[in-house]
Amino acid sequence: MIWLISCLTLTVACLFYVFHLPERLFPGSPNMRAGYLRERKDAVYENLRDLNFEYKAGKLPDIDYMSLKSSLQDEAATLLAEIARAENSSKRGSRNTRL
Amino acid sequence: MAQLGSFALLLALACSAYCVVAGIIGIVSRRFFAVPLAETARRAGIVVFALVFLAAMILVVAAFENDFSIAYILHHSNRDLPAPYKFATLWSGQEGSLLFWALLLSAYGMVLRLRYKTDVRLFAYASVVVAAVQVFFLLLLTFAARPFAVTQGNTPADGNGLNPLLQYPEMVIHPPMLYLGYVGFTVPFAFALGALAMRDRGEQWIRITRRWTMVTWGFLTCGIFLGAHWAYSVLGWGGYWGWDPVENASLMPWLTGTAFLHSVMMQEKRGMLKMWNIWLVFATFWLAILGTFLTRSGIVSSVHAFAQSSIGDWFAWFLAITLLVFIFFFFKNKSQLRSEHKLESMVSRESSFLFNNLLFVLLCFTVLWGTWFPKISELVQGNKVTVGAPFYNRVAIPVALLLLILTAVGPLLAWRKTSIESLRRNFMWPAIGAIGVAVFLMITPQSWGSPFGLRPAQDISYFYSLTAVSLSVLVTLSVVSEFYRGGRVISKHTGQNIFASMVQLVHRNTRRYGGYIVHFGVVVVIIGFAGAAFNQEKENEMGYGDKMTIGPYTLVCRSYTDDDAPNYASEWAVLDVYKGGRQIATMTPERRFYKASRQTSTMPDIRSTLDEDLYLVFEGLNPDNGHPILKAHLNALVMWIWVGVWIMLIGTVLALIPNASAPERVAARARFLPVHAEPVVTGD
Repeated sequence: MIWLISCLTLTVACLFYVFHLPERLFPGSPNMRAGYLRERKDAVYENLRDLNFEYKAGKLPDIDYMSLKSSLQDEAATLLAEIARAENSSKRGSRNTRL
Repeated sequence: MAQLGSFALLLALACSAYCVVAGIIGIVSRRFFAVPLAETARRAGIVVFALVFLAAMILVVAAFENDFSIAYILHHSNRDLPAPYKFATLWSGQEGSLLFWALLLSAYGMVLRLRYKTDVRLFAYASVVVAAVQVFFLLLLTFAARPFAVTQGNTPADGNGLNPLLQYPEMVIHPPMLYLGYVGFTVPFAFALGALAMRDRGEQWIRITRRWTMVTWGFLTCGIFLGAHWAYSVLGWGGYWGWDPVENASLMPWLTGTAFLHSVMMQEKRGMLKMWNIWLVFATFWLAILGTFLTRSGIVSSVHAFAQSSIGDWFAWFLAITLLVFIFFFFKNKSQLRSEHKLESMVSRESSFLFNNLLFVLLCFTVLWGTWFPKISELVQGNKVTVGAPFYNRVAIPVALLLLILTAVGPLLAWRKTSIESLRRNFMWPAIGAIGVAVFLMITPQSWGSPFGLRPAQDISYFYSLTAVSLSVLVTLSVVSEFYRGGRVISKHTGQNIFASMVQLVHRNTRRYGGYIVHFGVVVVIIGFAGAAFNQEKENEMGYGDKMTIGPYTLVCRSYTDDDAPNYASEWAVLDVYKGGRQIATMTPERRFYKASRQTSTMPDIRSTLDEDLYLVFEGLNPDNGHPILKAHLNALVMWIWVGVWIMLIGTVLALIPNASAPERVAARARFLPVHAEPVVTGD
């Protein structure tokens, strides 16, 4: 009999926890494209920092450093332009929705 | 108690199933109820932990209360079993260890669900995957391997006891460590599959799972080496690794997991190898399940496979289903996994990671093939062909040496491409140092002991040892040069001394420099492995006063005796150990007879030094004259292995510490960084 009561209590406690929700739930974050581009931008900036540090540590000759730095900077510029485009289009999208 | 335990598991199964179903509807649906439904799914997943924890605690309490009405307790415990082993009863048998698996998975799942605010959508996907795996284990526990099954007939007064081989202190921590590793790989897999299913092109799942993967890898490393140490200390054959199928089962996910830890950096830094990484993380999870399947299905014979039953079919189906689900999502959404860059040069950090990955996967495939070959040969030819250590060593040793070369070279290469000038500049001094050490080891006299006097032409094992030690020196010097160069840059900027600068360097990029410390630990372990070339062994029957000489040691048999403890009876030899004419120790190798299980077990006595281990095994008494038979092993450099593992674990812990933030001025300027400016940070 005791185990039956224990099982019942356990079930009620579980159901209460699962289905008794707070009034406000945490919302997710939208705009995956811009988020993804920002991630890439952070990675490129980190790569630039790494490169800079390795150059200062004497691991790279000047010519390698200049060429790698310039290609990373080009990549960062492309990403920044794309981020601006993605953010503009999402702003336009939300304005259209409001209209 | 047993009824409550069974009910808790049944309720946990219902909650897990709800978590899967409600979680999928919450993700897929765009109706008003989707968000609250997803929240209930998350909460159901959290409840699973409480329920499985309750069930596990009931089993532990039953072991302490000697409740032999539960069949599992009857078969794996007895009244005189010491308390730590009673606790270890939880994972000592089939049903209990599966319950433990489910417990750890639910704990990982709970942590995951509590941290859902990082990325609600991705965490919801991952939560569903973890819950689906949980459903499988709870189905097993409810229908096929029931830990709370009741003893048939009258309840016996005492239990059958724990397997004697498991009655060793390390066995209380080895399985939990290994399981934390096995189970933990479910989380990166869940995030990877979740990201794949939601068509997420980003690296968010990698950023989230980075620490999970490192923690899991650390546990698995610890578990594998604890297992090796247990085998060395208990099994009495003088070795620590026998390429046993169950040892291999733990090694395979470790190999793919290690490959993943390296290749993931290519994805983070360069957006490359996305498909490869997702396959690697899946393979790691799949191999961890395969390992569990190997240990419990009885499909392969092993000294470590303590549990054998018919649950193999369940595992086979689960493995097949996970493979199919993964392949489905992979082919459906693989367009999202295109690399953003191509390999620009064969001499670059990327290519070193690529080769490193290929070697790890090759080694994993070799181990997989060797493990399954006896079974395959039995199915094809009708007779079981045994695959022994020489098969594995033929591949593993050269691959390990090539990996050591990459470990030395990799950190010295730049991302994208490295010029010959750059390579020469970074590599010259470590290479000169390694060659110098190799020459020194070859010209020194053999009388200096291991690892001196290595004559590579004398024996192939000496050649491998010499190469391993030289490459280890190469790796060490390249790691030291990385610390020194980095420290010097910081020292120039801050005016601190070089050591303080190195500490600051590690703080600024704990992952990178912690990783280098792990590499150094690996080197120390490899030197320990290289010592195997110098091992010796001898077996003698020894009456009172008889002598046996092995290496620099002379053993003199003083006596042999026996004793009776509540849990076991034992007999042992007492031997005086002399070195250079001076007595340095008395050793007592032992043989035990466990009363409850009626099984015997050896307890070797080991005297460890940094140079070598003197390892004595009491093999019993000669039935004709009653003299003890002693086997002595002289194992070179074994202690280096255990020291190396500690270093690896310290490096892993260091890599888990968050980086120290950059100085304020740097952060402020970085915010206004123009497109073509270089970020002004002195650390990486």
